Amino acid sequence: MERLIVVSYDIPSNRRRRKVAELLEGYGQRVQYSVFECRLSEGKLAELQKRLQKRIKMAEDSVRFYPIPPYALGQIIIWGGRPLAEPPGSTVA
Amino acid sequence: MRTLYVVEQGAVLVVSAEQLHLRRGEQRRCVGQLPLLEAVMLLGMVQMTTQAVRACLRHNIPLAYLSRSGWCYGRTLPVGWGSGVCYVAQRQTALAWQVQMAAVMVRAKIRNSRTVLLRHYRRYGIIGAERVIDSLQWLAERVGRCQTLDQVRGMEGAAAAIYFPALGECLRGEGFVFVGRSRRPPANPVNALLSFGYQVLWNHVLLLVELQGLDPRVGTLHTDHHGHLGLVSDLIEEFRASLVDSLVLSLINTKEVRAERDFEYRNGGCFLNDGGKRIFLQAWIRRMETKAGQGLRWELLVQQVKQYRRAVLDMDYVYTPYQID
Repeated sequence: MERLIVVSYDIPSNRRRRKVAELLEGYGQRVQYSVFECRLSEGKLAELQKRLQKRIKMAEDSVRFYPIPPYALGQIIIWGGRPLAEPPGSTVA
Repeated sequence: MRTLYVVEQGAVLVVSAEQLHLRRGEQRRCVGQLPLLEAVMLLGMVQMTTQAVRACLRHNIPLAYLSRSGWCYGRTLPVGWGSGVCYVAQRQTALAWQVQMAAVMVRAKIRNSRTVLLRHYRRYGIIGAERVIDSLQWLAERVGRCQTLDQVRGMEGAAAAIYFPALGECLRGEGFVFVGRSRRPPANPVNALLSFGYQVLWNHVLLLVELQGLDPRVGTLHTDHHGHLGLVSDLIEEFRASLVDSLVLSLINTKEVRAERDFEYRNGGCFLNDGGKRIFLQAWIRRMETKAGQGLRWELLVQQVKQYRRAVLDMDYVYTPYQID
């Protein structure tokens, strides 16, 4: 089962922030400057967290993961910006 | 199976951090996220940089190189993709097991073809086709009594001879005439759509078969003939009618695909042009990403391949084919 996870971060170092953003671009969609919405299975979330850990400094940085349970999806309110991230699917390019 | 199909001729697939981008001249756009992709299929003259190939392999994504009409030239697989654990067991199955397996698959194929026809007969109020339905029913029952593989193949051929002309009766789109299958090359738009659809299905099943450690060459109904991957052709039989034929019918009957716009004629045959391929693949994705039972339709393919694997390793396990009602 895939679940919506909101990942937000506050990272002072430009280099580390860029690295983290690049990684998150692979797992979800950027919805605000330092907020991503990801639709991930348990396994993929664990993989993301493991890879993120190597890119941040716990003493200086802050990263938060907010899982959104399915029943709450309909209660999300969005003002402006892009719509809620869809679950990723196949693509024809 | 989250798949990236690249049909844009002359474009280059490149990697950028965790994403795949399609580059064409100065323009580039994101077409896939590496951690989330499960397969990449390149149709025709699409290039890929070595960096992009390596990034895919590192993320355990297999690449399939297909012709413009979906025929598979070969694949590039990550190290450790599939383990081949079933190779020996597959070659040691008894002849009786093979006959039974082939019969089960052909029976499911005939039954599913019959169900697809029935659904469309009801939808369009076609009457007087009881003979076709009854004949298919009769053949499906008879398959179980076959003693040899050739008998099973005979039943399959007989069913196809009845089924395809009947399928043609269900077409409602302008410019689409269909009286029977023609292949290599397909002779008309309906055959072009069916051939392309079967190829797409075939390529996915091939990747799944290898992922489960099965040898794609060792089938029962189809045999290893000039390197033909028999098991893959066996396994798609149950899915042809419900996944491909009914999709083709609906694309034609809803006029999403148009005879005068979406095809091209070359090499003495009829093929989908690039626009037609896009329409088909997008419809295919929509269908495969809808829910069926516990998961998405993709899951049905995975389940059947896993079941086959179990049946090979455990002779007492009864393989249940995919059947629609």
